[in-house]
Amino acid sequence: MQKFFSNKKLIILMILIIVTFGLLAVTVNIRDKKSTPPVVQQVGNDVVSVVGGVFAYPTNAVKNATSEFSDLYNTYSENKRLKTRIDELAQNQAKLEVVQDENKKLKQELKLNGTLTDYSTVNASVLSRSPSSWQNYLTINRGQTSGIKKNMPVMSGKGLIGRIVEVDKVSSKVELISTNNELNDKFAAEILGDNKNVTGVVSRYDSSTGDLVMENVNSTKDIKKGQSVITSGLGGLTPRGLYIGKVYGIKKDNYGMTNSVYITPAAEMRNFTVVTVIKSSVHGEN
Amino acid sequence: MNIKRRKIFGQVLFILFAFYLDGLIKWAFLNNMNHETVVILPQIMLMAIVMLTMRIEDRRQLIIYGIVFGVIYDSYYYGIIGLYTILLPLLMVGIDHFRFLLIKNNMGYDISIYFLSLTFLQTGIYLLEKLLQQTSTDVFDFITYTLGPTLLWNIVVFFVIYIPLANMSAWLVKYRRDSK
Repeated sequence: MQKFFSNKKLIILMILIIVTFGLLAVTVNIRDKKSTPPVVQQVGNDVVSVVGGVFAYPTNAVKNATSEFSDLYNTYSENKRLKTRIDELAQNQAKLEVVQDENKKLKQELKLNGTLTDYSTVNASVLSRSPSSWQNYLTINRGQTSGIKKNMPVMSGKGLIGRIVEVDKVSSKVELISTNNELNDKFAAEILGDNKNVTGVVSRYDSSTGDLVMENVNSTKDIKKGQSVITSGLGGLTPRGLYIGKVYGIKKDNYGMTNSVYITPAAEMRNFTVVTVIKSSVHGEN
Repeated sequence: MNIKRRKIFGQVLFILFAFYLDGLIKWAFLNNMNHETVVILPQIMLMAIVMLTMRIEDRRQLIIYGIVFGVIYDSYYYGIIGLYTILLPLLMVGIDHFRFLLIKNNMGYDISIYFLSLTFLQTGIYLLEKLLQQTSTDVFDFITYTLGPTLLWNIVVFFVIYIPLANMSAWLVKYRRDSK
């Protein structure tokens, strides 16, 4: 026994291994189960992210400038196409206002305080992206002080991009929907059909095609290519009506048992510097 | 502030700057989120760390750097503490231990050491994450789509910025040679 403890290097190695696995297990557990990390880690992350802002803002400016440049490149054809749709848009907007107003009044009549479609938003700018293959995180510059909580959905300009996984005081981390992590990237979704809506769960990301995969679909009879997919609001974490993308195709699994619907994500995940965090008005269990 | 403290302050700033560059380069240039088959991870901080480790002779200082920056990196980028926190100090002690093999400080040595460290670090992270079920990627996919492109990109970048990087890190550690 005495001889064993006199071997200093062996003891150091042993302690190192214990500390490694201890740290890893504890932090993974905290991330998965608690709503916020320990205060020390929060403060550390905040300090790093505030200082990181100094570098992030010029980078975002450059990124915006380059995306403006590429926008300029295809302005002419886009302008032609968009002009035809403007009249339609104005008409739709007027209709939307009337319908929203009517909806509000009807809700008051029914004494409904909030439904699954009600939400408020917080804008945040992106500070950095994790240089890691399996933790697909964006760091954004809003946190608890702006009312952000874990599991809130996050949108870019066009569609859903992910979900909040860690909240610090003035910064937080967003896990992208394009992640193969099996625990966190599930969204209750619904396909807007002609007469009937089909519900399911967006549960996977196919990295070879860049498509999202929707599973647990009850029937594929009415699904057509090009139909819109939105969040269904079931499960209570996400409000209803956030745009995810368009149906691309249906595939059967290897056994021919279940159907997977492939969805082209709407969010073009390259050229954005600002994201929108969605705060649902109706809260589920979490 | 004496010269030694000033140099250490400079070294810390140097590593911190490289630390932010990692996230920003990934965000600004390598951000292909729609078609993510090939994953390139910029590892500029590792470049700074390797270059400083080859020139600093105080092992205690190296271990402190490794642990402090490892914790910051893990907490800010990974959200799991224990990957860089353990692997970075181990790597630095390893380089320090085999220093006698590296008599000359030339570009070939520096690049091969960086290549080996990057492979060690990425493989270590992969194994730890696999063990904790944070990823379902298999080994061959990891080598083809993550390790390979990452090594290629980083070696090219290291080659391009080698001269300013080497001069900078030599200048940041130089007072030792003067005082000898």
